[in-house]
Amino acid sequence: MLRLLIPIALLAVALLAIVGAERPAPRADFTLINRGDVTTLDFQQMSWNQDLRVARLIGEGLVANDVFSHDYTIVPAVAERFEISPDGRTYTFHLRDARWSDGHPVEPRDFLYAWMRALLPDVAADYSGFVQHIKGGRAFSAWRTLALADFARAHPGESDPAAARELWDQTRKAFADLVSIRTPDSRTIVVELERPTPFFLDMVAFPGFFPVREDVVRRYELLDPATGRIKWNAAWTKPPNLVTNGPFEVESWKFKRDLRLQRNPYYWNPSVVSIDSISIPSVEDSVSSVMAFETGAADWVSDVLAPFRAELVARKRAFYAEHRAEYEKLKAQGLDPIEIDRRLPPDPRNNIHVFPAFGTYFWNFNCSRTLPDGRANPLADPRVRRALALATDKRAIAEGIRRVGEQPAATLIPPSSIGNYRSPAGLGFDPDKARELLAEAGYPGGKGFITLDLLITKDGGHELVAQTLAKDWERILGINTTITVQEIKVFRERLKNKNYMTARASWFGDYGDPTSFLDVSRTDDGNNDRAYSNPRFDALLEKAAKETDPDARLRSLEEAERILVEDDLPFLPILFYVNMYLFDATKLTGISSHPRGAQLLYRVDLFNDGKGTDKPLALPPRKPGEHPHQTHDGEPGS
Amino acid sequence: MLGLILRRLVQLPIILAVIYTLTLTLAWRIPGNPLENPEGRRPAPEVVAAMKAQYRLDSFSSFYWSYLDNASGIKFLRDTLSGRAAEQARAAEAAGLAPPDRLVFDLGPSLQYRDRRVNEIVSSALPVSITLGAAAIAIALVIGLAAGVAGAIKPNSLTDLLTLSIALIGISLPSFVIGAALLLLFPVLLGWGRIPSWGRPVDLLLPAFTLSLPFAAYIARLTRLGMIEQLQSDYIRTARAKGVSESAVLLKHALKNAFLPVLSYLGPAAAFAMTGSFVVERVFVIPGMGQHFVNAVQNKDLFLIIGVVLIFATMLVLFNLLVDVLYRWADPRIE
Repeated sequence: MLRLLIPIALLAVALLAIVGAERPAPRADFTLINRGDVTTLDFQQMSWNQDLRVARLIGEGLVANDVFSHDYTIVPAVAERFEISPDGRTYTFHLRDARWSDGHPVEPRDFLYAWMRALLPDVAADYSGFVQHIKGGRAFSAWRTLALADFARAHPGESDPAAARELWDQTRKAFADLVSIRTPDSRTIVVELERPTPFFLDMVAFPGFFPVREDVVRRYELLDPATGRIKWNAAWTKPPNLVTNGPFEVESWKFKRDLRLQRNPYYWNPSVVSIDSISIPSVEDSVSSVMAFETGAADWVSDVLAPFRAELVARKRAFYAEHRAEYEKLKAQGLDPIEIDRRLPPDPRNNIHVFPAFGTYFWNFNCSRTLPDGRANPLADPRVRRALALATDKRAIAEGIRRVGEQPAATLIPPSSIGNYRSPAGLGFDPDKARELLAEAGYPGGKGFITLDLLITKDGGHELVAQTLAKDWERILGINTTITVQEIKVFRERLKNKNYMTARASWFGDYGDPTSFLDVSRTDDGNNDRAYSNPRFDALLEKAAKETDPDARLRSLEEAERILVEDDLPFLPILFYVNMYLFDATKLTGISSHPRGAQLLYRVDLFNDGKGTDKPLALPPRKPGEHPHQTHDGEPGS
Repeated sequence: MLGLILRRLVQLPIILAVIYTLTLTLAWRIPGNPLENPEGRRPAPEVVAAMKAQYRLDSFSSFYWSYLDNASGIKFLRDTLSGRAAEQARAAEAAGLAPPDRLVFDLGPSLQYRDRRVNEIVSSALPVSITLGAAAIAIALVIGLAAGVAGAIKPNSLTDLLTLSIALIGISLPSFVIGAALLLLFPVLLGWGRIPSWGRPVDLLLPAFTLSLPFAAYIARLTRLGMIEQLQSDYIRTARAKGVSESAVLLKHALKNAFLPVLSYLGPAAAFAMTGSFVVERVFVIPGMGQHFVNAVQNKDLFLIIGVVLIFATMLVLFNLLVDVLYRWADPRIE
C-alpha cells in the first residue's frame, strides 16, 4: 500500500507545480466577457462580433463611427479629414501622423496591403464584398480565382515554388493595375468606387478595412508551392509579433484563458482613453458569465443568455415600478436609458440593460416551386406565405415566450434604426384575412395542404417558438405541422440546399443602410436561403444603387422592403432582437446603448478610480415622441 | 515487465493508425461545411473552394495521406534528412520571411480557431486537464475508499445504506447541476473562490470535487464489494483469531486485496478524468481538453477532432500500461 503512495505523492507535487506556473494575472482596469472566444485577430478574416469588438480596440480605420450619436456619425480616425467628390464616387483620405504600436508611422501602403488581403479568395474573408465596392475590386478577386485555377491545371499534384512566387508577384501587380486606389503621396489615399455608395464610409469604419502593418505581416507570408495559394503563418497575430495601430495593443493572448490588452503608447489620441488595461477572459457558459459578474470578476457581460434572463428583466421592471415617478420624469427628458439607470438609486436589479438591437428574428419560407422530394411546394404561392404571416400572433411569442422586451416585428429592418428611412407597415395579426387568403390559394380550411414542416436547431429557445407557430397555424388555418430539430451544421446545409419548408432565421445589419438587410433577398445572393426571386424587387435595388439623389434612393428601398413584407413574404418577421448587457451604470461609463451595438470600449471610464475624467458618456437626449418605435429597457412596448 | 512495456509501446502506433482511419472516416461524413460560420453571412463559393483546396478538404484520400504524413512525423524526418528543411529555412531568411514552423508531429491547423494550430491547443489544454483529472482521481480515491470501507464493515447497516445512496447520487446527478450549485454556494453567496476557477491550486478544489463524484461513487461500490468478499475469507478469520487489531485487519489485510479491482478501474478512469470533462470545464470556466471533444465535432473541425481523439487514445493506452505495471508491483503473484 505504502509503495503506491510514493509515486502518487510525486505526481501530486508535479501537478501543483503546473497550476502554480499559471498564476492569474492581476485584475485589469476593465474586464469584459464576450459571448464566445475570440477566434482570430486577423482583421480581414473576422466575422464574429467578439472578434470585431477586439478589432475596434486594437485597430483603427481611416474613419470611425461615433457610437454616442444617434446616427452613428462618421468621425475622422487615422484620416484627419476626407473629401468626397460631387458624384459620390471618389473619396480622398488625408492621413494624420498616426503610429503603430512599435512607433512606426501608419502609411497608405498598410491600408493597401490590408485591402488586397481582404479581396483575395485565399484569405476567405466573409466581408470581402465590402472592399469590392472599390472600383476593380471584384475584377481583382475574379482574376485571382482564375489565376489559381490555371495554376492548378498547369501543376497538377506537383510543387513548383518558383511558379508560386511568380504568381504572387503577378497578383500584387494585378492589384495595383486593376483596383482604383491611388496614393499620390505618403499621406493621401484616393479611392474610386464602382458606383456612388452612400454607406461606403460606414464600411471603411468596419474592421475589414483596418490596416495591417505591411512590412511585418509580409514576413509571415506562406506560399503553397503545390497550389500557388498564399496563407499567413498564424504566428503573426500573436504578441509580440502583432503590431497594431489602435488605442490598445495585445499584451498576451492565452488560449481559452484570456486576452489581455494594454494601452498603445503611440496612439495618436491618448486623451480619449481612461483605462490602462483590459482583460477578456474566455467564459462560454451563459450561467457562469452571470456568476462571474456577480462575484465582481467581470465589469461587463456583452450578451446575457442565461436561461433565467427573462427573470432578470422582470426584476428590473419591478425596480422601475418601485421608482415609477422618478423614472417617468427622467424618461420624459428623453435621456439615454443608461443615463436614467445611473440617476436612479443604486440597486443590483438595475444591472441588467436591455436595448433594441440592429437585428431581426424571422422565419424563412422556402419559395421554390417544388420541394427536394419532388412534391409541389404550397409555399411557392405568395398568398400562402401571406396567410401564414397573418395567422401568427407575434406578440404572444415576444411577451409570452421570450419575455425580454423584444418588439413584435412586421418588417425586416428595425423601424427608425436608419436615419430618414421610413419603414413600411407590414402585415399584422388577422386570422380572418389569413383564412380567406388560404382559401383563395386553393386550400379552404387547410384542405389539401401537405404537412408543413418547421425546421429548427436545438439551442437558442427555438423549440417553444416553433410550437407556438405550429399551434397558431393549425388552429387558425387548419393545416398539419411537424417540427424537425437538427444540429446547426446540418441545419445550415439544409437551408443552403433549400431542403426545408420553413425554418428559423435571423439577420443583423452590418452598416447603417437598408441594403445591409435587403441585399440578401436578391435573386442571386449567396445568403438567399429562401430561393426567393422577384425581378421587380431586384430592379428596385438596382435602381437604388444607381440613384444619386439620397432621398429618391431611400424611396426605392422602402418600396423594395414593402414588397418583401407586405406582398411576397419570403420570410415571416417575428420580432426585433434586443442587446442585453450586464453592468453597473453607477460604476462605469462608456458602454453605448445604440442599437447598432458596435462598442468602442477604449472609451470606458470607471468612476472614482483616479483615471479619466469620470464624465458620463451617453447618447444625446431625444425629443419626446421623436422615435415612437424605440422601446425602453425591457418595458413592454406600446 | 520490460517486455510488457516494449510490447505495448510497439502496439501504440498501430492502434493510433487504426483509430485515425476510423475517426477520419466518421468525421468526414459529418454533414455540413466546416469553413462556414453557424450564423450570419456565408462566404462566397470561390472562397470556400479556395479554403477547401488549402486544407485539402476536397478529397478524402489526399487529406488522409497528407495528414498522416504530417502527424506521424514522417514528413519532419524526410525534410530533415533530405536537407529540404534547411533549404527552406535558408530561402525564408534570404527573402526576409519569418522562419517556417516546424513541428515533429504536426496535427494541423484548427478550422474553428483560425489563429491556432491543434498542437498549440493540445499543449495549452492537456496539462490543465491532466492536473484537474489527477486531483479529481485523488479526491475520488479518498472519498471512495473511505465510503467503501465504512459500508463494508457492517453491510446493510445505516452507514452502508447512507454511503450507498450518496454514491448513487454521485453517479446519477449531472455535474452541471452539482457544479452550478457549488458555484452559487461558494463564490457567489459566500465569496470563497472565483470564476474562472483556474490559476491557483485552491481554485482546483471545486471543479476537482465536482469531477470526482462519479468516480468516487464507482470506487466506493468496488471497494465495498471487494471488502465484503475479503472480510469473509479465511485469512481474515485467522488474523482476527491471532488477535490482530480490527483496524489493522481492515486496512492492512482486507483493503490491500480489495484494492486490486479498484486499481484496474483506475486506468481507464484516469484517462477519462485527465482528458477533461466538457461540463465541468464549461461551468467552472477551465481551459481544458473536454470542451474540444464536443465543440470540434459540432463545428466539424476535422483537424481538432482527430487531434483530440488521438491524444485520448494515447492516454488510454499509456494509463492502462501504467496500471498493469503498478499491478505487478503491488501484487507479485500476477505475471
